[in-house]
Amino acid sequence: MKNTGHRLPSRRAVLRGVLAGGTVSVGLPFLGSMLDSSGKVLASGAPLPVRFGTWFWGLGHTPGHAIEEKASSGFGIDFIGECQALSTHKEIINYFDRFNTPLDGRSNFPHYTGWIASRTGTVPDWQEEIAKPTYDLLIADRIGTQRRFKTIDIACTGNPRNSYSARSTYNRSAAEISPSDFYARLFGPEFVDPNNAEFIPDPRTMVRRSVLSAVTEDRQQLMRQLGASDRAQLDEYFTSIRELEVQLQVQLQKPAPNEACSAIAPPKDDTFLGSKTGVEISRVEETHKSFARILAMAVACNQTAVFNVVFSENLSSLRKLGESVTHHSLSHEEPTDPELGVQQQTSWFNTRSMDALAFFISTLSSIREGDGTLLDNVLLLAGSETSFAKTHSVDAIPFMTVGKAGGRIKTGFHINGNGDPITRVGLTAMQVMGVPIDSWGSRSLLTSKTISEILA
Amino acid sequence: MSVLNFQHMSTKTFLRTFAFASIFFLSSPMEVTSAEKMTLGFVITNWSTAMYETLFMDECSGGPTPGNYEIWEASVTPEVRRSYPVLLFSQLRHINNRGRNGLNVCDHPTSFDDPSLEIIEGKYAYGANLDGNKHGRATSTSCEHKNFTGLNGEEGIDNQMYRLMGCVEAWKSYGHIENNANSHRLSSGLGMILIEVTDVENERNDESVSVSFFRGIGSYNLDSTGNPLPYASYGIDHENGRARYGDTVMGKIVNGVLTTKSADVHLPFFGNYQYMNQLFRDMQLELELSDDGEPMTGLITGYYGVDQFYSYVRGMLSTFPNRHKFSCPAIYVAAHQLADGHPDPETGECTTLSSAFNIQAISAFINHPDYD
Amino acid sequence: MACFSLTLQKLVCFGFLFLAWLGLSACGPAEPKTDAPAPDMRRLTEDQYRNIIADVFGTQITVSGRFDPLVRTEGLLAVAAWNTSVSSTGIMQYEEIAQSIATQVLSKENRETYALCSGVSYTAFDESCARKFLAKVGRVLLRRPLTKDELTARITIARDSANTLGKFYAGLSFGLISLLVDPEFLFITDFTESDPARSNAIRLTAFSKAARLSFLLWNTTPDDKLLRAAESGELHSRDGLNREVNRLMASTRLKTGLRAFISDMLNFDEFDSLEKDSIIYPAFGAAVVRDAREQTLRTITDHLVTRNGDYRDLFTTKKTFMSRPLGMVYRVRVKAPDNVWESYEFAPDDPRIGIQGHLSFLALNAHPGRSSPTLRGKGIRSMLLCQKIPDPPADVDFSGFNNPESLGKTARERLLAHATNSACIGCHRIMDPIGLALENYDGAGQFRGVENDAEINSSGELDGIAFSDSTGLGQALHDNPAIPTCLVNRLYAYASGRTFTAKSDWLTYLNKVFADGGYRVTDLLKRIATSTTFYAVSSPHNLDQTFESASNIIHFD
Repeated sequence: MKNTGHRLPSRRAVLRGVLAGGTVSVGLPFLGSMLDSSGKVLASGAPLPVRFGTWFWGLGHTPGHAIEEKASSGFGIDFIGECQALSTHKEIINYFDRFNTPLDGRSNFPHYTGWIASRTGTVPDWQEEIAKPTYDLLIADRIGTQRRFKTIDIACTGNPRNSYSARSTYNRSAAEISPSDFYARLFGPEFVDPNNAEFIPDPRTMVRRSVLSAVTEDRQQLMRQLGASDRAQLDEYFTSIRELEVQLQVQLQKPAPNEACSAIAPPKDDTFLGSKTGVEISRVEETHKSFARILAMAVACNQTAVFNVVFSENLSSLRKLGESVTHHSLSHEEPTDPELGVQQQTSWFNTRSMDALAFFISTLSSIREGDGTLLDNVLLLAGSETSFAKTHSVDAIPFMTVGKAGGRIKTGFHINGNGDPITRVGLTAMQVMGVPIDSWGSRSLLTSKTISEILA
Repeated sequence: MSVLNFQHMSTKTFLRTFAFASIFFLSSPMEVTSAEKMTLGFVITNWSTAMYETLFMDECSGGPTPGNYEIWEASVTPEVRRSYPVLLFSQLRHINNRGRNGLNVCDHPTSFDDPSLEIIEGKYAYGANLDGNKHGRATSTSCEHKNFTGLNGEEGIDNQMYRLMGCVEAWKSYGHIENNANSHRLSSGLGMILIEVTDVENERNDESVSVSFFRGIGSYNLDSTGNPLPYASYGIDHENGRARYGDTVMGKIVNGVLTTKSADVHLPFFGNYQYMNQLFRDMQLELELSDDGEPMTGLITGYYGVDQFYSYVRGMLSTFPNRHKFSCPAIYVAAHQLADGHPDPETGECTTLSSAFNIQAISAFINHPDYD
Repeated sequence: MACFSLTLQKLVCFGFLFLAWLGLSACGPAEPKTDAPAPDMRRLTEDQYRNIIADVFGTQITVSGRFDPLVRTEGLLAVAAWNTSVSSTGIMQYEEIAQSIATQVLSKENRETYALCSGVSYTAFDESCARKFLAKVGRVLLRRPLTKDELTARITIARDSANTLGKFYAGLSFGLISLLVDPEFLFITDFTESDPARSNAIRLTAFSKAARLSFLLWNTTPDDKLLRAAESGELHSRDGLNREVNRLMASTRLKTGLRAFISDMLNFDEFDSLEKDSIIYPAFGAAVVRDAREQTLRTITDHLVTRNGDYRDLFTTKKTFMSRPLGMVYRVRVKAPDNVWESYEFAPDDPRIGIQGHLSFLALNAHPGRSSPTLRGKGIRSMLLCQKIPDPPADVDFSGFNNPESLGKTARERLLAHATNSACIGCHRIMDPIGLALENYDGAGQFRGVENDAEINSSGELDGIAFSDSTGLGQALHDNPAIPTCLVNRLYAYASGRTFTAKSDWLTYLNKVFADGGYRVTDLLKRIATSTTFYAVSSPHNLDQTFESASNIIHFD
């Protein structure tokens, strides 16, 4: 498996991990075995890459109205109520139930603590604190640098701030919000079709790369003039430059052909969406559909190996046209219907969110790749920031893997966490994606227990 | 005997009255404070001929009236008809030029005898009693005609315009004449009518207000669904400070409903690519006011000149040769026959049609030009 | 005679001394000594980036792309900039934007304007043209002249690129790109040198001073005059600094700088994602969103700069500006044509008052489909009074409140439960009574007398001052001592990235200056811009351990 094109994590990435708090450790033999377990190959003989994605929706599920409870982990998920639409995909999903977020006495910042803890492994001390990188970046550090885009971040809400990928509190990405801009960026003039027989490295790309190199040449001189905290700030910048250089370098090599990659039509002009911002539900759904189609093909064409999709944001302000209430305000204010046992309108939005997830899954599985579909070679981690939004509960935050991760995981399981820390989910995902870690998380969220039931 | 009838009052009484009046007036604050006078502004956002319609067109016993196309089609053989497989613009002109010796029937409406226009035979109509009587017989100021009954049972409703056009499908609420005109007016701002009500002391009840009509300049401000937004500001069409329209009439407001006294009023018109300076004779406005920006509905009634109306019909048919199911000659003939107002002093023929138009309006600010 | 003249001399001397003393004390209290922070660096904000490109290359050059978001810290995005770097997705964006800018600048149509080398070969590399161009843009973009070696390096980049691409201007564009992705462009850095006036001490270089000054007053890169003042060393002298401060403050660009500060302080970045339900508030379209922001910025700069007014009067002023789209929402007559602004003054009996009565405040601090007394109260507390509201407890059940179908027709009635539930009352009683005074303005800021057919009661309370309507709220804000002190705190944090405790000598000094001067923000700005403290830096090893740098913010109490 030496020609996977994946490099070992750079010394810098490992060191950064060590410097950041000593909870990341290296396990090289583990790494090798993970790579070996990918059995599928491309026609060219190179193995099919496994991609990682996250799919976020706000405000969770109504407890008892998402899946049938199961006392212990096992094969077979019974989606109900709000998750009906996922039933058709249950064979390819693993549902993680009852994984909790112990706070160790820290405040539960409503709608923040949940996502920060589950995605970074560390409970924040203040609302916007991101003490450690989110897992998608740790995975991207591992597999993302060999692609044209290290990560792709998408928000269907029209707000570029709706992104749950961050390296630290002050190091955040802005999300794409416009499908047509996204298409132009991905499949515009700079796109190189991997299936083209002929490949001529773009001289402009060579020049771009050498310019970036030149810019970093006198970094030592600059660093010397700065204080310690500035050096760290600048170091982040130079790391980003270096990553871009590597990505440009990748674009100078002939990409591996992939039959799954084919041309797609550009999306309709964004004006059909009305204003560019807005969380009116049908607008968000249309945006999501438009993005899903383009993103799926971008992934199939190996433009990126890591992507993040935000359907609705953590305080989900999804709303219906003409209504004065939003998904979030309903989750708090709407009384529970005594017969149905749900907050009806809140549940309606929760259901629409799951419908959208089902659509996304179908989009990925509609692209043939190798012997199966694109979804077979993706590990999609879908999750929210809370379980029962009304109480801001961060216990049992719903999480699912979708896709077979190139055969590295088994699917169709309902895993009952029995109160274990939610970081087991992130840890397992990272290990499946080849991040060389034995354990992950801080304080009571520190865990080394992989969810082995799903490992292939 | 009124206390104020000074002629027959004794000096003593007069002095007593004067003293009493003086005390009364002098005991109030020295300056006479009149209530603040307000100005209300409105812009008309929808205008259509007021049509009473039933689901199965019971008011037109003969069904909808045939138009130029149907008449032409009936007059040629099927082979000739089939020889025009697609109705191109040039062929449509053929249909209009079906008069004697190829005359255009709209330009020469008496050159061809079309079948008579189907007219309204129903009982009910919107409108007002314009001639002041319920019998409909000829008077010195009107010609004989049938009256309608109003929707609330009022008798003596005069609406010959409705009688004339009520069976022309294109004119109905689902037809395109009024709908095209309204949507084009909204999107272009052409033909905008502004109504300014001044000297208003009380928006709900005021015995005497002034109502002026202007042509608005500028475009409507529309929301995202294309509906006009209230409280926009519009300028008036003027030349060197003098408003081009600007007829003023007296009115009153009773329980939030504005009505005006009968008077001749000029109003701008734009619709279906026709521009007109309309004259409404004996026009009255009734408008149910709202103060929260909600759309208001109203009715404009009055006598509408036959020639003025026919010029609109004729102008339209030049632009849209024939898809509208009306026939110029039939309308021309019927309009003259049905006219019921303002008899020509020489011929005795009535020259205007009693009519009623539905309007919708919203609140607006009307800016007068800053001229000294 | 001699005796007399000696006494006269003494008298004259004494007189001069007395006058001098008068003069000095008339300038107010002396600047207190304050611990100087370590040199630091901040990343350009999106606005600064755009302003710089517009100033250097003109507004016809379009800048489109995404910028890494800043996380509001201590109430300001500007403070976060001191902690923010560039993410890996961010650098891709910067590089793409740089390519786009460079392509536009050196396009066939534009190159003669910018490169000022006419008759240059399209293919062959012209060193003197490249040198001229890169030295010129390098100086403005890096905010200092390039050294000989640096310029040579950039020329080499341009030459190598031109050789690879076979075109001179394409190569030259990469020289420009290298500058646009350079850390010294993207980061405003405190470069230091030893201070000749004090031993073992450092000071900011003149160029770093120039940058600090320019970004504070104009929110853009130092212009040519300011750069020359730095180059000549004039900026290190008091006179030189004062001259430049006066010049910058006399310019209309001061308004641009002030707008950037106000936008940050009032969270106007939220306008980018502001939307109102188009059925409930049909008048609140894109034009209104755009104009609502402009209206408040215009009102504030007009009041603070053009009229040099008292800051506190911003909360009681009836004067503002109006545009056609706004006229429909405020329901007032507008005479100006489309896209033109006109002065407007609300009538004395019109309840609208102050900037808190503007759509910008009312609509931003509300929901898409309804008002929010809590958000508005919170907005006033946190943005205008610099007071922190704790987060809500995590497990609150709200379903008793705010259900339009159950209790209460007005928000006041629906929020009663906040005032009675012990878990809520602590925080809500410092927010709701303020916002309830603004309930006559719906979620879009439109006036209403009733809600659900019930008369709206707009009485409220702020820090013990009760009022019966929003006019009273305006006056209460005007009189609240935290209003000016918050402004001072925010302004200095915006300028420098540093916050202080309320009791610090430096803030006490600035507050006194502000109050004594009649709360004139331009005077305060000038005082800051000409102060020693604003530019002071100290070596990291000189730092007192108790001082916290920008990355560990002390909470303002």
